[in-house]
Amino acid sequence: MNQTLDRRRLLATAALGGVVGATALGSLAPEAAFAAEATAVEPGMPDPNFAEGRISKISGNMLLVTGSDTVLHSIRITGGTSIWKLQPTTFDQVAVGDGLYARGVRLPDGTLAADAVWVNIVNLHAHIASVGRNVLHLDHKGQHIVGHVVPRLSAAVYNGTPAVSDLSLLRVGRHVQVLGAWHPDTNEIDIATVYAAA
Amino acid sequence: MIEMIAALQPLVVGAVLLWSARVKLLSRHAAAVAGRSALVNLLGERRALPAYRLVGGVELTLGGLLVLPPALRAEAAAAAVLAAGFLAYLGYARRAAPTSSCGCLSARAAPVSRRGIARAGLLLAASGLAALAAGGWLAALTARPFAGTAVVLVELAAIVALSPELDRAWLLPLRQLRMRLTHPLRGNSGVPLLATVQQLQLSDAYRRVAPLLRSDVREHWDDGDWRFVGHAARYQGRAATAVFAVPLADPEPAAVRVAVVDDTTGHTLLSLAGTPPAAGPHLAVSPA
Repeated sequence: MNQTLDRRRLLATAALGGVVGATALGSLAPEAAFAAEATAVEPGMPDPNFAEGRISKISGNMLLVTGSDTVLHSIRITGGTSIWKLQPTTFDQVAVGDGLYARGVRLPDGTLAADAVWVNIVNLHAHIASVGRNVLHLDHKGQHIVGHVVPRLSAAVYNGTPAVSDLSLLRVGRHVQVLGAWHPDTNEIDIATVYAAA
Repeated sequence: MIEMIAALQPLVVGAVLLWSARVKLLSRHAAAVAGRSALVNLLGERRALPAYRLVGGVELTLGGLLVLPPALRAEAAAAAVLAAGFLAYLGYARRAAPTSSCGCLSARAAPVSRRGIARAGLLLAASGLAALAAGGWLAALTARPFAGTAVVLVELAAIVALSPELDRAWLLPLRQLRMRLTHPLRGNSGVPLLATVQQLQLSDAYRRVAPLLRSDVREHWDDGDWRFVGHAARYQGRAATAVFAVPLADPEPAAVRVAVVDDTTGHTLLSLAGTPPAAGPHLAVSPA
């Protein structure tokens, strides 16, 4: 805990520190730093640096994932991997049965060293069929989906303006696009963002 | 009482069939409705629309016969056969083509649901009851106008309530009204993380360091007037953390600062403060 606080203090001080544009390494242009690092993806081939599927096993920092095309992926979670599960979260929140999308670097042994993992993320277009206390009942092509509004986490984007926490401008019968975290094997999701017209 | 209810059934069933025939024969969208229905699975693409129209024609004829005197038991029996056919068709559609649309009482797409099947069942029961009636519905209605009207209205209301395709006309306005009265989504406040991320992604600082970033948002925390957002980064082969400082009160992307900090040594490798807005003429762009 203290370690986290110390680290955060260090990072905060660095970000707010007054030395504009200074760098310990001389070069100011980040473009110079990454110029050689482009990875080539063959046209028409599946992106080797991407994987999706359901987690069938977790051992250590490895995830065994069964893709929707039944391809098996081993995904390594590193110290630098970002994990999203409704919000940026930690590895211990990931469970067997969760679905995921992962992006990273394919290692020579076939495992994917993940840079970013999005767990249970869903993106759907729907109509709001009815609204309860912090619940949106969504009609997605005739299927009923229960969307839970999570206080302090769920956000709304109205007409493409910056996101706000206030979801009260949503209207029954309107079309919405919802980003959220699926509860595995149910028709329920926790809502991350609702895109709507207001 | 049961006599009177039975005598009124031809009116109810006839009215529903006429309404249904109107959609199938007169709607401009009939071709699209037929194309979405399970008739395509049952009869093939080419024969779906003629079959749909044919059903409409049968409904029109039978509905007209039921509503107009004389009241014949054969009409009620035919309606019962038709309703049983609907029931069988819906059962088939639900099993064989679950994504198909009902195409029953409205041109609006509505999947075959339990409500639709219950409605066909109600129609079947009403037709069966009609076959028991001795007299015509007009005589029954004039004999007991209030009770008779109430029965007809209740039954029609039940048909409407069991029609998902008609929800838009009555159920959604009711739910909108309830929402306006109870405000079930009110009471969420604060700056969501997405707003911060949107702001920093528009910033000059982000544009400068974006190619270094390897991960999505890894962590974020608030400290005083600032929100800090950390990404994993790589800088000249070193593992680093790019930490953005975004003011909570100022939505201007220009206020965003960033530092790239070496993960092992803790040294700041790169640090960019927010750039002040360019001097000179300024074009304000507000989102639509």
